[in-house]
Amino acid sequence: MMLAVLGLILRASVVVTGAAVLTFVLLWFAPGDPAMAIAQARFATVVSADVVDQVRAEVGLDAGFWSAFKDWIGPLLVGDFGNSSVTGREVWPDMANAIGYTVPLALTGLAIGLAIAVPLAVLAARNQGSVLDRFAVGIASLGVAIPQFWLGLLLILLFAVQLGWLPAMGARSPTHIILPALTLGLGVAASLTRIIRSGLLEARGQGFLPAFRRRGINEAHVSRDHVAPHAAIPVVTVFGLELAFLLEGVVVVEVIFGRPGLGDFLVSAIFARDFPQVQAVVLLTALLFVVINLLIDIFYRVLDPRIGEHDA
Amino acid sequence: MRSVLVLAVCFIALAVFGPMFAPYDPTAINIPNRLSGPSAEFPLGTDALGRDILSRLLYGARWSLGLAFLISLIGLCIGTLVGLAAAQGGKLVDWIVMRTTDTFLAFPELVAAVVIAGLLGAGTGSLVFALSITSWMRYARVARGIGLSLKSRGYVVQAQLAGMSPLAVARWHFVPALVPSLIVVWTGMFARAILGISALGFLGFGVQPPMPEWGTMLLDARIHLRSTPLQMIWPGMAVATCVLAINLCGDALRDSLVERTS
Repeated sequence: MMLAVLGLILRASVVVTGAAVLTFVLLWFAPGDPAMAIAQARFATVVSADVVDQVRAEVGLDAGFWSAFKDWIGPLLVGDFGNSSVTGREVWPDMANAIGYTVPLALTGLAIGLAIAVPLAVLAARNQGSVLDRFAVGIASLGVAIPQFWLGLLLILLFAVQLGWLPAMGARSPTHIILPALTLGLGVAASLTRIIRSGLLEARGQGFLPAFRRRGINEAHVSRDHVAPHAAIPVVTVFGLELAFLLEGVVVVEVIFGRPGLGDFLVSAIFARDFPQVQAVVLLTALLFVVINLLIDIFYRVLDPRIGEHDA
Repeated sequence: MRSVLVLAVCFIALAVFGPMFAPYDPTAINIPNRLSGPSAEFPLGTDALGRDILSRLLYGARWSLGLAFLISLIGLCIGTLVGLAAAQGGKLVDWIVMRTTDTFLAFPELVAAVVIAGLLGAGTGSLVFALSITSWMRYARVARGIGLSLKSRGYVVQAQLAGMSPLAVARWHFVPALVPSLIVVWTGMFARAILGISALGFLGFGVQPPMPEWGTMLLDARIHLRSTPLQMIWPGMAVATCVLAINLCGDALRDSLVERTS
């Protein structure tokens, strides 16, 4: 078991290293003149070639690929993301500030999603084939098909424009989180409902359950000790997928609702060609993603020792 | 199964023939009629430049569905080749290929696509590149899994020992095993591509105006949310309907596949 976990950690570190290299290569070989874009973002006007060259030297874009790579990866290893090429400020404090807006949004979204999906899936699975079940599956299928940004616009239209109940743009007060979190949460609920439901149904279909019941073990015990662990595996899988969904959702949702979070930070950094900022966001996302998936892989092996017997 | 085929045919028809039913040129600007509501003349109204929304929606199908088809096909080709190479190439190749796949999987698809499309410069070419390069990994995993399990099957080993050419082995043993599973993955990725195209379009990194892609149309409509809210209903409904229908196709295909194998 320890050996398997070590193997997984080694694999994850290979992936993180690969992701860092890939990020740098992508940005380095992107077409267009980043120095020009940075200069324009800095001075907000048309700039002369001299100024562009000056910016190029200052940001280190005139160095070769390898020396630039070394200059980037060295400080990164001690957690220094460098300075923004546009504002010259350190990347980390600004990014931390953005994360401060994104984390509550993602967690609230996830909580809303769980609060809807778990009861709905349990009810649907208990009454398989009923009207309620078909309704739940239908709504969930529809929910998965609706683009997040459109759902966000519909919610703004209904609650902010027509009814005037909730604020839509910005993040000034706590109520500003409601609509974006609802947008994310409904999306999460749609995908979770289907997967929890089928996980429960599969767990219920296990052949040993009728044997327990015939031996007189009561239904609550059977559910808790035998159905739940079986249903847990697909649910754990989904958490990995949900994380991706949340990270993707956050980008569009923050842009729609004008929330100054990580998604908004990323999109404006891309427009300004602010490489250090883009690299920091992409790398942090990848790191988070790999770590969560690593934890999930370890968790699998705890839940079901059969997993991982063949590959290590 | 029959309803799935009907749906599939409907979508192909929509993308191919839809524009023929468009009453107007989707890019024709008509300022006097800007932001008008639905009328006999303009069934779904007009946008901020007075362009007919129905015509734009119908032409938009070609962009959204056509590009999604292209993207998912590129992903399918890359992924299958990579997966089979991993399965066939021995331990070291397999390790390198699969860690590369994991590395690509380390980025959430849409986040990676936004970064790539944004850095390449907004446009259709970068959109296709960004979404293809971030969507081959699932095919690769499926193809590798099937490839590995086939390699050790008795009938494949016997065919190879009997001197069947590698091409013939691929044709008669690998293709029939791969196709059904890959088609199921493909329908899911096709739907995701439609969502991805519209999301990138909406963020301004995708198909550029004045082309009538559904996500780009939503970006336009968002500005006029207060004055003409109906304008943003239609493109969103088009995306949702297509994705829903394709997902249902995928579910039906998967069910019939499970039935056949069990």
